[in-house]
Amino acid sequence: MTTVTNIGKPLRICGLTKTYETRTGERVEALGPISVEVERGEFLVVVGPTGCGKSTLLQILAGFLEPTDGKALVDGQPITGPSLDRSMVFQNYALFPWLSVLDNVKFGLRRRSIPRRLQHEIALRQLMLVGLLDFADKNIDELSGGMKQRVAIARAFAVDPSVMLMDEPFGALDALTRRFLQRELLHIWREQQRTVVFITHSVSEAIFLADRILVMSARPGRIKAEWRVEAPHPRDVTTDPLRRLENQIYALLDEELAEAFAWERHIGG
Amino acid sequence: MSVASPPTARRASERGWFAGTARVRPFLYAAVVMLVVWQIVVMITRPDPSVLPPPIDVALTFGHLLRDGELGLDTAYSLGRVLCAWLFSAIVAIPLGLLMGNSRSLEKTINPFVELLRPISPLAWIPMAILWFGIGELGKVFVVFIGTFFPILLSTIGGVKEVDPVLLHAGQVFGCTSRISLFRRVVVPAAMPSIFVGLRVAFGTGWAAIIAAELVAAHTGLGYLIANGMDILRADQVLVGMIAIGVLGFLFDSFFRYLQGRYVRTAR
Ligand SMILES: Nc1ncnc2c1ncn2[C@@H]1O[C@H](COP(=O)(O)OP(=O)(O)OP(=O)(O)O)[C@@H](O)[C@H]1O
Ligand SMILES: [Mg+2]
Repeated sequence: MTTVTNIGKPLRICGLTKTYETRTGERVEALGPISVEVERGEFLVVVGPTGCGKSTLLQILAGFLEPTDGKALVDGQPITGPSLDRSMVFQNYALFPWLSVLDNVKFGLRRRSIPRRLQHEIALRQLMLVGLLDFADKNIDELSGGMKQRVAIARAFAVDPSVMLMDEPFGALDALTRRFLQRELLHIWREQQRTVVFITHSVSEAIFLADRILVMSARPGRIKAEWRVEAPHPRDVTTDPLRRLENQIYALLDEELAEAFAWERHIGG
Repeated sequence: MSVASPPTARRASERGWFAGTARVRPFLYAAVVMLVVWQIVVMITRPDPSVLPPPIDVALTFGHLLRDGELGLDTAYSLGRVLCAWLFSAIVAIPLGLLMGNSRSLEKTINPFVELLRPISPLAWIPMAILWFGIGELGKVFVVFIGTFFPILLSTIGGVKEVDPVLLHAGQVFGCTSRISLFRRVVVPAAMPSIFVGLRVAFGTGWAAIIAAELVAAHTGLGYLIANGMDILRADQVLVGMIAIGVLGFLFDSFFRYLQGRYVRTAR
């Protein structure tokens, strides 16, 4: 029905740093320098202690923020601003409450030179993939949190992006819904091989989804460690090797978190 | 099946009947209490009817004024003036508010004027309106315009400024590449609920302002009906006017609330 014109594009992040300037003139080093290469169609998951600059990294990749230093390239091209080619799923859904479910999914299709009938078909197909075809005409405020995030996923994939950016997309959901959506996301990702950068606080979520996991250090966030997860999907995260991996990652994160809090106590006192 | 369905059906119809009256019942109840208190006060203190007539007298006068068309005509005059000024306010204040909410420098330039003029109640403008426009229609529309303009303007500015930044990001990601398209496709619809509240509140302040303007300078309208009743010592006529003002104001506000619930989609 829909033609997948984009397959994932590679990302190249080179010596990226971000320093925020607060209103009082204080400088906050939020990120990096970090350098990463993300392959075409790779599912990259980033975990790190709170405040280490994960959202900052994603906002730079989305094109909302300029890096202080360094480069971020998509398929060799520097990022200059937001683009349909780099789609996003937000933590708090960020759906447009004045539009129906279907019109939310269509939102990103409107400005492309796609005939209206095809827009309609694409949107319906994406809704079908997230199991919300019957809710196409509903209002956003009639949906549960999990359903909203499924609409957001449908909207993000509908624009046929080559890169998908996800900032703790399931963070606000209950454990069961979360599990369900993780599966759904993998299903869609495997069908339409996009490059995914996925941020999470949940180590088991990272292990369940990732081709590769990056662990970031406390602020300013750098890459502290990385793992490739080779286990085939669908994964059982309770098997011994994956459990061991989980423990290793937790050990690293605990270290970083202790450092982050010690530092905050230091500046607090 | 056949055992289970009758109770369900009964409950559904009961709920339908309840839902139908549940909304108006508290108001009917309040109205009845006020009537009863009024009647009791009249029976105990026996005031002169030119000071406080019994409810029944007022009801008779109400019927009389309704039949000879005077009440309808005065209502039409008052409503016409309010609607006219309110629409005009909306036409000016909504675009201005959208621009001010969107541009920091424009807001900085215009806001001082707004903040200095806003505390001057529309009622304080009535004398100037009479001096400038006489007691024709224009003066009264002007007073109501003053009363409706600021609520609409402020809620429009607020609506634009309080658009969730995440929605702006979402708009940008999903194809609003220019400021104008982001404004048209995200900012304006996101500000709509707030604008609507402004319109509703403004109608209320406008309705209050027109009565005041008509009290002072008019030969028509519900405000005039009251003022005239006072001049000819007809408290019953005054009360008919007051009741009409209250009921109409209430009905319009309910109507706006209904539209709001029906058509305005807010987040969460
Ligand atoms: N606009 C800003 N101005 C100043 N400092 C900021 C700004 N945005 C973020 N920061 C700071 O930069 C650091 C990184 O923020 P960021 O939101 O990227 O962290 P994060 O890793 O996403 O955290 P979390 O896991 O809690 O979402 C934080 O210490 C934060 O206080
Ligand atoms: Mg974050």
